[in-house]
Amino acid sequence: MAKLSELASTIRSKNAGVNQITFDIIFPDVASYRRVLASQVITRDSITRLFNIPASRISDFVAFDLANAIKFTIYRLRPSGSPGDWDILGCQQYGPLLEVEVPD
Amino acid sequence: MTKPIHRQALKVLISTGHLGTAPSSRESFLLGMAANPDYVVADGGSSDPGPVYLGEDITLGHFAREELELFLTESRKKGIPLVIGSAGDTGSNRGVNEFVSIIKELAQEHRIPKFKIGYFYSEVSKDFLKQKLRNGKELSGLGGFPALTKSEIDLATRVVAVAGIHPFLKLLEQGADVIIAGRCGDINFTAGPCIYHGFPEPLAYHMGKMIECASLVAEPFMGKETIIGTISHDDIKITPYHPQQRCTIASVAGHSMYERETPYYEHTLGGTLDMRACQYEQFDERTVRITQAQWIPATELRVKIEGAKKVGERYMGFVGLRDPHIIRNVDAAIEWCKSAVAKRFAHEQYELFFHVFGRNAVLKELEPVRTTSPHELGIVVEGLASSDTLAEKITDFAVRMFFLVRIPGVKGTAGTAATTKKTMKSSPGYMWNINHTVPIDDPMELFPVHMTEAGV
Repeated sequence: MAKLSELASTIRSKNAGVNQITFDIIFPDVASYRRVLASQVITRDSITRLFNIPASRISDFVAFDLANAIKFTIYRLRPSGSPGDWDILGCQQYGPLLEVEVPD
Repeated sequence: MTKPIHRQALKVLISTGHLGTAPSSRESFLLGMAANPDYVVADGGSSDPGPVYLGEDITLGHFAREELELFLTESRKKGIPLVIGSAGDTGSNRGVNEFVSIIKELAQEHRIPKFKIGYFYSEVSKDFLKQKLRNGKELSGLGGFPALTKSEIDLATRVVAVAGIHPFLKLLEQGADVIIAGRCGDINFTAGPCIYHGFPEPLAYHMGKMIECASLVAEPFMGKETIIGTISHDDIKITPYHPQQRCTIASVAGHSMYERETPYYEHTLGGTLDMRACQYEQFDERTVRITQAQWIPATELRVKIEGAKKVGERYMGFVGLRDPHIIRNVDAAIEWCKSAVAKRFAHEQYELFFHVFGRNAVLKELEPVRTTSPHELGIVVEGLASSDTLAEKITDFAVRMFFLVRIPGVKGTAGTAATTKKTMKSSPGYMWNINHTVPIDDPMELFPVHMTEAGV
């Protein structure tokens, strides 16, 4: 068992336009990338459970082989910077991903 | 009209992903300049800082003048063009005028020999958009927005259109030494000069994409450091100039997906950059070479438009909690405050938000951690109403109600929250309400170009 933060070299989130936040999980090598993909801990389904959102809020999910990266994008409930939003850049939303457990 | 010089390669230097937010690092900038670039470029803006800046028409960065001073003085010493995209953060007409004025003042201060400033505007009249609706055109929403309606157009304080490469080409043809752009796609202030000099469109747009955030394309993570993108007729190369940074296949490929919904496509006025077949290779110790981008010209010209509407005046107050019982029952405490406000201001329109730091202020509904046991909690109360007086009154009242919160079992009877300072005035609240595309006939029709002189 390892935490996603121990396997990935970059885990980040950022606005993708004013109404979406995109998450990038980038691995240092193909082995750790393949291991996480195979483990199924990061899938459309697991993301809906982790963030407690309906599948309709995920606008894109891709395994990006070229960069050894998993990338997914979600819709915000209200556009970035609306009253009530405290992460205008969407750049702290990745926090919970670091703790995801990846089986051996 | 100035004829472009055709060359084997063109070097474009960039040192910031967002001009003015913090100063560019001077050391790597000068190292980059010593490598004799052909252009210095910078992105002046973004929609990232939120809707307030376009809504209120204000500039975010406090270092815009300082960065422009470095860019202008150094580029003029070498006699190479300087190109600034999305002036004043939002690319509003005021932002463009402000940056043109700064360039003129700097030219005087530094006694720079006469040069030509080309600039263009990006604001769109609401009548133009409403005319499109009357003509039965759909103003399609991006990122999940529904199609644009007349009432939303009326609510926006101002609207900007996002330019392609076209006004850059026009201004370079007219001999501009410095270009101050209105709102434009962040790949286009680089792609424009590359295409002007005859380099292939796919490589030009891809270079624009790869260098727009400067040193964020390299590793380790450093902002505000210089990189140079070099385009030839069959590849692009990205090289960092901070001595401790290098571009690797991982850093460059990783950056290709940064702040975009998909790593494969980039849409802009006039077409789509298709990066599905891109090849990355390590060219030397710190340089990555990229090939194989494709460019798909658009079958219909659609330009992106941006606008924000005002929601109300806004105040914020801060509440600290240390009583473990109140911390455990923070939801009940918030509910009590809300109901007290609802009762007292029953006939008023207002919005009230409670940001609970120590629990879910940052992630809100996305926060998976449901139960924590912090010994302190901080709550920002954010209140909005139609007038300044009412927004302050409601927000301050909500903060006071925390101090007097009524939940069963409280032992402290002198005050149930730690408070300090006056409830603070914040920026007015705005919401992005225009994030759409509109069909146009000519890629220049919304972007009038102008030329002026500066220097001595």
